[in-house]
Amino acid sequence: MSLRLKLLLLGLLTLVLPWAGCRYAREMESALREGEQTSLESVAETLATSLEGRVDLLYRAPTGPDAVDTAALSKSGPYDLRPVALAAAPLLDGYSEDWPHDPSVWAWYEKNAAHRFGVLTGVYERVLFLLLDVRDAHPVFDAPGASPLDPHSLGDRVWLGFQDPAGGERQVFVAASGPGAVTARYVESGEYGQRLAQLEPRIRGVWQLTPGGYRVELRVPLSMLGAGFGVLVDDRDARGGEPLSYGSLHPDDLRTLGHLIMASPDLTTYLAQFSQPGLRLAVTTPAGQVLARVDALKRVAELAPAPPLIARLYRRFVDQPGTQPPIEARVAVYDREHHNVIGELEVTQTPDRWLRLRDRALTRMLNFTLATSIVVVIAMFAFAAWLALRLSRLRQASESALTRTGLVTSFPDTGARDELGDVARSFSRLLGRLNEYTGYLRTLAGKLAHEIRTPLTIVRSSLDNLEAEQVPASARAYLDRARHGSERLNAILLAMGAATRVEEAIGGAERTRFDLVPLIGSAVAAYRSAFPERRFSGELPAGPVTLEGAPDLIVQMLDKLIENAVDFSPPGSTITVRLGLEPGAAVLEVENPGPPLPAGAPGHLFESLWQSRTGGDNRPHFGLGLYIVRLIAEFHGGSASAGDLPGGGGARFSVRLALTG
Amino acid sequence: MKRLIAIVEDEAAIRDNYAAAFTREGYAVRTYANRAQAMSAFAARLPDLAVIDISLEDEPEGGFELCRQLRALSPVLPIIFLTARDSELDAVSGLRLGADDFLTKDLSLAHLSARVNALFRRVEALRKPEQAGDILQRGPLTLDTERMQAQWDGKVVLLSLTEFWIVHALAHHPGHVRNRQQLMDAANVVLDDNTITSHVKRIRRKFQGVDPQFDAVQTVYGMGYRWVE
Repeated sequence: MSLRLKLLLLGLLTLVLPWAGCRYAREMESALREGEQTSLESVAETLATSLEGRVDLLYRAPTGPDAVDTAALSKSGPYDLRPVALAAAPLLDGYSEDWPHDPSVWAWYEKNAAHRFGVLTGVYERVLFLLLDVRDAHPVFDAPGASPLDPHSLGDRVWLGFQDPAGGERQVFVAASGPGAVTARYVESGEYGQRLAQLEPRIRGVWQLTPGGYRVELRVPLSMLGAGFGVLVDDRDARGGEPLSYGSLHPDDLRTLGHLIMASPDLTTYLAQFSQPGLRLAVTTPAGQVLARVDALKRVAELAPAPPLIARLYRRFVDQPGTQPPIEARVAVYDREHHNVIGELEVTQTPDRWLRLRDRALTRMLNFTLATSIVVVIAMFAFAAWLALRLSRLRQASESALTRTGLVTSFPDTGARDELGDVARSFSRLLGRLNEYTGYLRTLAGKLAHEIRTPLTIVRSSLDNLEAEQVPASARAYLDRARHGSERLNAILLAMGAATRVEEAIGGAERTRFDLVPLIGSAVAAYRSAFPERRFSGELPAGPVTLEGAPDLIVQMLDKLIENAVDFSPPGSTITVRLGLEPGAAVLEVENPGPPLPAGAPGHLFESLWQSRTGGDNRPHFGLGLYIVRLIAEFHGGSASAGDLPGGGGARFSVRLALTG
Repeated sequence: MKRLIAIVEDEAAIRDNYAAAFTREGYAVRTYANRAQAMSAFAARLPDLAVIDISLEDEPEGGFELCRQLRALSPVLPIIFLTARDSELDAVSGLRLGADDFLTKDLSLAHLSARVNALFRRVEALRKPEQAGDILQRGPLTLDTERMQAQWDGKVVLLSLTEFWIVHALAHHPGHVRNRQQLMDAANVVLDDNTITSHVKRIRRKFQGVDPQFDAVQTVYGMGYRWVE
């Protein structure tokens, strides 16, 4: 793992900040929720207190507050009807499609299993709407054209009984001689005591047959109605038959038994004063039926602008899966004496209210911590990159210091005051010493050769003198061996001093322009006669390759390469000398079959006194031949390299020589 | 009367070995260990030939100084530098001071004797009138093998003994390539390639000093050199 990656990972650790922020946000959220709950409860308490004893405000009470039997309200008798608040006026057509589809709001009355009816009441804009669903196996209509009071023509009919705003009991009936529009009538005693059926045009509706009976849809203006209200069905199995009466009116005198329990029209207005976006206020009867409701839950947008995209993104990380339930507070509303519960107040608050608060805080915090993280990560990455750069510069410098001849004069970073600077300084010192040492080694051969020459001269001149003396034949063999040994020693000395002399030759070399092609051609021809047991193959370009340099040195360099190739190739093999052109350079290659280069050697082969290959002869090897090659290549602005032949089985030495002009 | 050879060499063993060899050849030999000894002796009597080492006891360049003084005493006295130092610079300096030859100590005694004999022959030849038989004429080149003198277009080119022998070996068979070994044999030396190369380079430079157009010594790369007319 690179240093850069490590520090990057370390920098990523700062992401723990936003994570902790999210955790904190969750904690904060539950605290907020608790606080909101408490404040909501106190709001509900206050509201409930303001409603305390205000039966008139809660319930529609046409005859004044005292007329409402609060006990009855709280008990909610079986004959009480609770109209639902309608969103729109239902079309009077005898169909139930435009009514709420909630079975629980129906009130059912029955005589027996075969005779039952349901009433659904609703209020819209000061009009009471009724939907009656009567189960009747034999629906009977009034005889057409007959008087509605003629006992022989009577069919099924529906009675509505109610108290008028003054408190008097009134009854109207609805009868139909066929499906269609109906208008209520009431029975009036005439001048002479006769009974008359008078039309009550304010109460009208539609009578419709259904598969199981019939349905009656009616509208009654609320202005006609007082507290009491009831519905009664006269079910006749045949026209003019004895009716089966049942419902919420007293079957004998049609007195009202129950009440129409509904909110005062002012209640909604009253609640609306307290309405706030995100808040729903509802007042219910003690039994739980909604009297009035002011719903501003969906008006959250007014609280604050919609959260920006980033906040919504953050929310995904913070919120547990599932939607946040709204918070609720439910408080009972008492009467003046605090004996009875006259209603209940329910306050609901959308979670959005505090979620938005939380989101705002969360967004700010997350923005801040994420920005911090990003800055830290970038800073760490940059720092790591800088460190890595310094380290790689150090590495490159130390590597080139090891492979190149020259002293490293400008080691990077030695001026830095940190630990890397220390490393660079100690590296620099170390390499300086190493360079001194290698420099010493490089000149050692030459110095040694020089120092050995004098004692060797003593030996050789003594041997020369001994030749002239009378040496017994038995001792001659020893003399010959001593001479042979000293000759070899001399050869060794020559080889050891070779590099020094080449360096001198390079120092005094004159540059001339010459064509490399005939020079190498002539040299290859010479090698053929010099090394008869090797074959030489010269691959030269057709055109001239003009170089500026010292031809003598080039030939000497080629000599060394060929000597090397001959040393490491088996007799009879072919040594290839190839001259190629590259942009700006001529490339001289010498290939020989034989053993591959020792592993790890190519970088060192051209160094002075590097010897890791064993040649096939007894001639002294000081690893100077290839060093000389390099010296001459560098004199010509080039470089020397070595590698195994592709596919193995030999080595290739290449020298690049810079072309001029 | 025997010819007198002076050997100035601080290494006693070498000095004595050389002295023994020259004595055996029939020369009178005087040996000196340092410049002061040698100069005081030379002031009394000049030797017929001097073999001088460059570094003499505590004088690293004492031989050069001695050569200069000796050459001042006699312009014709053959002087041979025989030294362990083999750098090009030393050779150039030595020859510029008027030495007749610059040899390294790995030379065998036989080769040394050959040179000494050759130099004495030259001294004798210089005393005698010119003999036409010993002249080798190759175009503008005239080689007097007795006097070991080279002329180019009638102008004398001063060559050291080794250089003269190399030129002679090349010019004797013009057009023939002489490899390095052949040149070394002709010059009675054992040299490495670089030394041969620098000898040839010096020869060219000396001839070019007389005739800038000189181009008679040609390099045959990988093989050797040849003389072209």
